[in-house]
Amino acid sequence: MSKKVRKRPRQSFSTVVSNNWFALKKVAHYTPGLFVLMFVEILLIELLAAAGAYFNYFLLNEVSAADGSFVRAAIIIGVMSVTMLALYGLDKWFWFVFNGVMSEKLHLKMHEELFRKAQQLDLACFDDPEFYNDFVWAMDESRTRALQVVQDTATFIGKLAGCTSLFGLMLSIDPLIAVVLLVSSVVSIVCESMANRLHYNREKEIRPLWRVNGYINRVFHLGDYAKEIRISDAEEMVMEQYADNNVKIIDCQFKYGRKYYLLYGLGFGMMELLTFYGTLLYMIFKLKAGVLEIGGFAAAIQVIWNIRWHLLGLVRRIINFPNHSLYIEKWREFLHFEPTVTGENTDLPPFESLELRNVSFSYEFSAHPKYRFREDPSSNECREALRNVNLTIRAGDKVAIVGYNGAGKTTLIKLMMRLYDPTEGVILYNGVDIREYDPAAYRKQIGTVFQDYRLFATSIAHNVMNGAYDGNAHRDTVLSALDKSDFTAKLETLPEGVDTHLTREFREDGTNLSGGEAQKVAIARVFAADHPIVIMDEPSSALDPMAEYQLNQSILHHTQDKTVVFISHRLSTTRIADTIYMFDRGQLVEQGSHEALLAQDGKYAEMFRLQSEKYEGSGADGDCG
Amino acid sequence: MAKKEKKKKEKDISTKRVASNTLFALNIVWESAPLYVIMYFFSTVWWGIMGFLSETYALRLVVNTAQTAQGIDSVIRFVVILGIVNILGNAGLNYFWQVPSWRETRKFTSHAEGMLFRKAAKVELACYENPKFYDKYVKAMNEIHNRIMRTFEATDGMLDKIISLTANSLLLFVIDPWLLVFAMLPMVFGIFKRKEVKALYDQEDAKKPVVRRVEYVRRTFYLGEYAKEMRVGSMWRLLLRDLVTCYEQIRDIIKKHGGRRALFGYIQQVGLEVFTILGATLYAVWRTMVTKDMLVGDCLVVLGSIGSISRSINNVIQNLADFREQAHFINDVRYFLDYEPAIADGDREMPAEPDTIEVRDLSFRYEGAEQDALKHINMSLHKGERIALVGANGSGKTTLVKMLLRLYDPSDGSVSLDGTDVRDLPVADYRGAFSSVFQDFKILSATVRQNVTLSTEKAEDEAIITALKEAGIYDKIAGFEKGIDTVLTREFDDKGENLSVGEAQKVSLARVFYRNTPFVILDEPSSALDPIAEYTMFENMMRATEGRGVIFISHRLSSAVLADRVLLMENGEITESGTHAELMEKNGTYAAMFRRQAENYLGSEVSGNE
Repeated sequence: MSKKVRKRPRQSFSTVVSNNWFALKKVAHYTPGLFVLMFVEILLIELLAAAGAYFNYFLLNEVSAADGSFVRAAIIIGVMSVTMLALYGLDKWFWFVFNGVMSEKLHLKMHEELFRKAQQLDLACFDDPEFYNDFVWAMDESRTRALQVVQDTATFIGKLAGCTSLFGLMLSIDPLIAVVLLVSSVVSIVCESMANRLHYNREKEIRPLWRVNGYINRVFHLGDYAKEIRISDAEEMVMEQYADNNVKIIDCQFKYGRKYYLLYGLGFGMMELLTFYGTLLYMIFKLKAGVLEIGGFAAAIQVIWNIRWHLLGLVRRIINFPNHSLYIEKWREFLHFEPTVTGENTDLPPFESLELRNVSFSYEFSAHPKYRFREDPSSNECREALRNVNLTIRAGDKVAIVGYNGAGKTTLIKLMMRLYDPTEGVILYNGVDIREYDPAAYRKQIGTVFQDYRLFATSIAHNVMNGAYDGNAHRDTVLSALDKSDFTAKLETLPEGVDTHLTREFREDGTNLSGGEAQKVAIARVFAADHPIVIMDEPSSALDPMAEYQLNQSILHHTQDKTVVFISHRLSTTRIADTIYMFDRGQLVEQGSHEALLAQDGKYAEMFRLQSEKYEGSGADGDCG
Repeated sequence: MAKKEKKKKEKDISTKRVASNTLFALNIVWESAPLYVIMYFFSTVWWGIMGFLSETYALRLVVNTAQTAQGIDSVIRFVVILGIVNILGNAGLNYFWQVPSWRETRKFTSHAEGMLFRKAAKVELACYENPKFYDKYVKAMNEIHNRIMRTFEATDGMLDKIISLTANSLLLFVIDPWLLVFAMLPMVFGIFKRKEVKALYDQEDAKKPVVRRVEYVRRTFYLGEYAKEMRVGSMWRLLLRDLVTCYEQIRDIIKKHGGRRALFGYIQQVGLEVFTILGATLYAVWRTMVTKDMLVGDCLVVLGSIGSISRSINNVIQNLADFREQAHFINDVRYFLDYEPAIADGDREMPAEPDTIEVRDLSFRYEGAEQDALKHINMSLHKGERIALVGANGSGKTTLVKMLLRLYDPSDGSVSLDGTDVRDLPVADYRGAFSSVFQDFKILSATVRQNVTLSTEKAEDEAIITALKEAGIYDKIAGFEKGIDTVLTREFDDKGENLSVGEAQKVSLARVFYRNTPFVILDEPSSALDPIAEYTMFENMMRATEGRGVIFISHRLSSAVLADRVLLMENGEITESGTHAELMEKNGTYAAMFRRQAENYLGSEVSGNE
């Protein structure tokens, strides 16, 4: 895993320029007003800072000159005052009002663009554990980075102008010092960039360790772990891990700290101080030798300090650009990422059949080569999630897909919904390869309740209508869908009915549903939309026996004219299907009706017997039959 | 309206409390890393003095000496010595700050976090369900390091500014006492700085709920768990619309507060830089050029010092606001640390051989709930007995189990162990009599070994392997390169193994097999398993818990058949109790439920006979 702690990537100069240019263009495109004003504001403020040095210089010269005039000095001060009065007004308004408002506008536009893109991404991208780290983190950063690029560019130009003019002044005062300052600024650029690299490498190395501390933090603060901690000695165990991890963190910090010290604390720091005292002493000697007047001396010292100050700022800005570039690179990559699950045709004929022909699928090769799934954590031994599957589902069929954990049932559903494309083989909709259809249009044909369904923090009605709830027009649809999924009893206890907001995260009057209730809302989704095909992935897993029974009856009753695919490892749920497909380790091993499969006495029969034998002879039939 | 008032009240904690909280935070550091405190303040004083001597004092000395043309050589000596001292001192201090300081920082952070962790492990489970308590707690955990640092920085900033203020004021006083008038001006303008800071806080406060919503929308787009749903509906359009609304709200908030900030900020900055600094400069120039009773060096000092003074005062105001902000936060930390867990140790001894747990007339209501979750429960569990707890969702099964484990104390009635009320027993000892698997069991990021033993002590490999075998997961574990020393999850270790839900549940079951406790609690132990695994698991479980008192909760009534006694719960009450056969005989709710489930397996003959 040495790949993990990779060194900071080297970027060519042109990459850095092109990435930063990209960010500048984005800001100029989304918020041109902000772009222009930010340049104006920053340039003015930078020039004011440089003017401060001139101000001191002229003023001190005037004060100490033999023929100095108080009136001229007062005029210098007056001009400076008026300039400050005006510029500070602009400055405050710009940063506190204009920039505040406009940068939010920029964030919105960038968010929107990114979200639209995320929405189109292949699901496979989300399977990759590195996806979140690599992309999301960088993208999030880019939101603030974009504006910083503008800011840094403007500041850089401003400081460069300021420095150049101050250098001009310095050259006229004492060329030797001007050269010394120039050399020291070059050295500081080198130091800063080396320090920056160290910093980057340290962060890279230390990040996994912080993640561990984050995990330990979660163990203590999440309710999930609370019970385990209270009834075992796990507290001591985790505290020990915490102590160990802290030692590792310190080691890492020491390692880089020492390097940093040699470079920065010792090298750079000493050079800075030497320059400072050296120039001071040099000027004193000049003063002693009588080459310099007092006024000239004081003024020169002021200019020297000002230049150092400006140079340091300039250097810091230069260092920022390669950093920005790293993040912007990810951002660009993301925006240019082409989804592989695509298709043109949005016009689908009414559903007749869905056929899987020689379909194989493995998670490893599904995604974009760069972000492919390295290892499917749930099935180490069986990399190929589906192997050579052939099956046909016709309109009106009631089909069950059964099998043990890890048999590939859920993967099959994801392929049927075209959340992934098969590694080999084809899936045909009415005989046409589904890759020819637009994924969104194709998915409209299928209503699915996922095993790991999610409800959103919005109203029940919006959750049922998948965000398309339009008040009264859809009210009846929602109510009847909730009725079909057996949610009505709970609905009646909610004062706001279908407008009740789910979760208390954002609304104090929101409702937290239990697992079973939430599942019913998720199921109502498929009733609300008129999908020809309905897929139920373990629809009753969170329900108690009574509710499970009622729900199954209800689902069957309300989907009579539809094509239904049930997935379950509870065979009690699936025996009602016309055709049962038994999967084992990614392969379709048996198919047929419940009776036919029992007669076949294969894997299905074995599985069914194991589940049912505990009911047999324990009263259910003994007492009554 | 009332809520707003409350919020306001919460904001204003007394100055005394601010001071006490600040001391509390500083004390955490002092207790665990005194070297850090010493070095921190020493560095500040050192750098403060060096800065003043080099940049202000030396300059004045040079110019004044040159003007009066006396002793310039001694000035040179002074600058040289100062330079050497400063360079050497700096090399030392920098070393501390770039190397050993990291250890010191870790010391106090882990000390503070450790206190919170320990406390978290002690507070009663009910705290996790109280959102207000929970919020404070999570915030405390996440931010404690930064908050302590910031308290420290604010304290240090104060110290730094006080040094600089004192030195510069003294110098000005020596030059011309009248200049102190200019030094006072920044204090007057400080009022506006405070207003500006407050406007910023108001703005950030107003933004908070909106930003939370934005974060939520962000999660729905980026997190894999939402990705499927986002791809099949038009929910994402709704969420994008939400986003636009949120940002409009944020812009309005900024417009509202930003104007105030800008105005106050402007007055303050102009007051400081134009009236104070340029005013003092004009005065000094006048004294030097017109009345000619000020040396040029002194005039130079005035230019620098007045600036330092006004900026120092400005910063002090910012620091004071900082203290207040940190104090708010530390208030939460202290609230949490001072919290006395409601579930406290009793002083009776645990019986050596626990035998019977008895629940007598127990009622329980969750905080804030309108109804009792458990009503007048009576039951007992003997060693060697197997009880199946069945009933619909929300009937109180899990709550009852939590009461048995003393994760909560009853609102009414009691739980007793061999005649002693469990509230009189030491909590840890009492809970030690149980091993359990919960519905929402967790695998820890640790080795398989540690996940089974859940403790730091060294354990026999044999015992662990046996437990894993009984849980039916050893074959899988043995297949890993490091066997039972394999790390689970990738949190700590890139080579860690991720288990599927079913496999993870088996590992957590192994905990029960490993610890030979008198009582065992299994909450839906087979929910994530497939039928074959469930079946073998059940058989193993029954064998391995022979002679122990077992309570198991399951929705699959087929397993209830194996119990010595079945308790049916409905709406927080035990409504039926007896063996499977007795309850089938009784033909009540249990019998009805059982038939419903069996019917799906056994075909229509069952329902036909109903």
